[in-house]
Amino acid sequence: MNAPIPSRRGWTRAQVALAFLVLTAAIACGLSVYSSASSLTGLFKTASSVLFLPLLLSLVLSFLLEPLVFQFEKLCSRTVSIFFVYIVMLGFGLLVSLWLLPHWQDFWANLGTDFPRYTAKLIDYLKELMANLHNRFPLIQSYDFPLKARDWAENLLATILAQAPQSAMRIGGLMVLVPLFTFFFLRDGRNILRACVSLSPNRHFEMIHDLSFLISRQLSHFIRGRILEALIVGVVITLGLSFTDIRYAPMLGIFAGVTNLIPYIGPIIGMVPGILIAFVDLGAGGQFWWIVILYILIAQVLIDNFILIPILISRVSNLHPLLVFFAIIIGGKVYGVIGMIIGVPIVSIIKIMILEIRTYRRTFRLPDSALEGERSH
Amino acid sequence: MDPLWRNIFRKTPDEDSLAYFLKHLPTFSELTIRELKLLEDMVHIRNYKADETVFEEGDPGSGMYMIRSGAVAIFAKDHTGVEEEVTRLTSGDFFGETTLTAPAPRTASARTTEATELIGLFRSDLLEMAERSPAVTSSILFGLTRVVSERLQASSNEVRRLKNQLNEQTLAETSKA
Repeated sequence: MNAPIPSRRGWTRAQVALAFLVLTAAIACGLSVYSSASSLTGLFKTASSVLFLPLLLSLVLSFLLEPLVFQFEKLCSRTVSIFFVYIVMLGFGLLVSLWLLPHWQDFWANLGTDFPRYTAKLIDYLKELMANLHNRFPLIQSYDFPLKARDWAENLLATILAQAPQSAMRIGGLMVLVPLFTFFFLRDGRNILRACVSLSPNRHFEMIHDLSFLISRQLSHFIRGRILEALIVGVVITLGLSFTDIRYAPMLGIFAGVTNLIPYIGPIIGMVPGILIAFVDLGAGGQFWWIVILYILIAQVLIDNFILIPILISRVSNLHPLLVFFAIIIGGKVYGVIGMIIGVPIVSIIKIMILEIRTYRRTFRLPDSALEGERSH
Repeated sequence: MDPLWRNIFRKTPDEDSLAYFLKHLPTFSELTIRELKLLEDMVHIRNYKADETVFEEGDPGSGMYMIRSGAVAIFAKDHTGVEEEVTRLTSGDFFGETTLTAPAPRTASARTTEATELIGLFRSDLLEMAERSPAVTSSILFGLTRVVSERLQASSNEVRRLKNQLNEQTLAETSKA
């Protein structure tokens, strides 16, 4: 009665070659259509880039706040409990910004003078290193790496200063949009998901409904775990740095926390400014070594690897380092610095989805895989 | 009262409402109005055309269906792999309840025989509700357990009766031989 379903494992070489050709042609067609319809996609891109970041941040925030809202919901209605959580968060945010504001002003006022000082020191060190290398291996062509580094650093500072008003505007916009979107995600998120799932055809509704539940549960674990991990690492580094005389301890802590969201590379990027500033300002003394130990041994090895990762992060979302690099490069190409930070979590989310679907199929052995099994007997 | 005003001040669940339908199912007959309201938010209303498959044997099962209107035929494959109709269910009946709490593949196929409205209640909704309001979930599960145990008892009685019948038959055959 059932038509035989071709087994996916039994493809001949000719079929594989054909599939490869068809895929290549499809990709080429897609690219050509994309480039010819660039005005339309440009329009779509502007629209999506305006909404993409606030939507993503609100989704993350609503996943984070959900447990809190849930606790308050036992006492009152959901809408009221969301307002409660908002008031608590507002108070918390005010306290943090009151504490952070003087540091931030100090940091911003001195950025213009301090940044060149630190980079000049780094470039001096690089020059020395290059000269040393040149002496030992005279065959190496002289490549003016320090000059390149200086150009790069000057450009970076200029971009930061030039884009500051623009990014302040964007952050102001986010401050309005993100709480608004988050409110609706928290209040109606379940109904929005249900409405989306209910659009699926009757035959697949049950499976899609089940999978959406499993995937959103995994995702909320993953997002909560990652953000909590970054938060704790940031707090530990801020605390550790505040024992020393280093400047900008809170900024460095926040930077280390944010970059900690990127696996493998993030922590290294996060510790570069701290170690550089410590080296330039404090010299290679006891405080410098304490800061190095704090960044590497205490924050990364002890807190993150031994305590946080085993508790908060499931192994399911582990990505291959190569995949992490791809995600960072592509994310950076598409959305700049923010893309670099969110690229890896997005790839992890896609991996979690694929894994959930695979486990689901394995648990139930869906009809076609069951048929394959029967045929092989 | 003027019909217009009656419409505005109507409070009791009228006969068309989902809560009224759920209240009249044996599974949920003992739920309070508040619990029924929560259950109403939890279930999914699905409309099927005639001869549409609800699920096939071997599909991943994750919940039960209640028939609000229309009819559903349940099919099972015999040992030769040929499908035969086991039963035909109509409005007020429910099926698939065994997979609600324990994930398992479907043991039979279900197809509509006419245009049908089904109310689906799934495990994931129950799990979510169990976190939000455990008391309501426990009364829903109590109702379900009661019906499932009644069905289990009936089928154990049937098995016992058939076993006795088989014993008698074999006894009669051996005495004949």
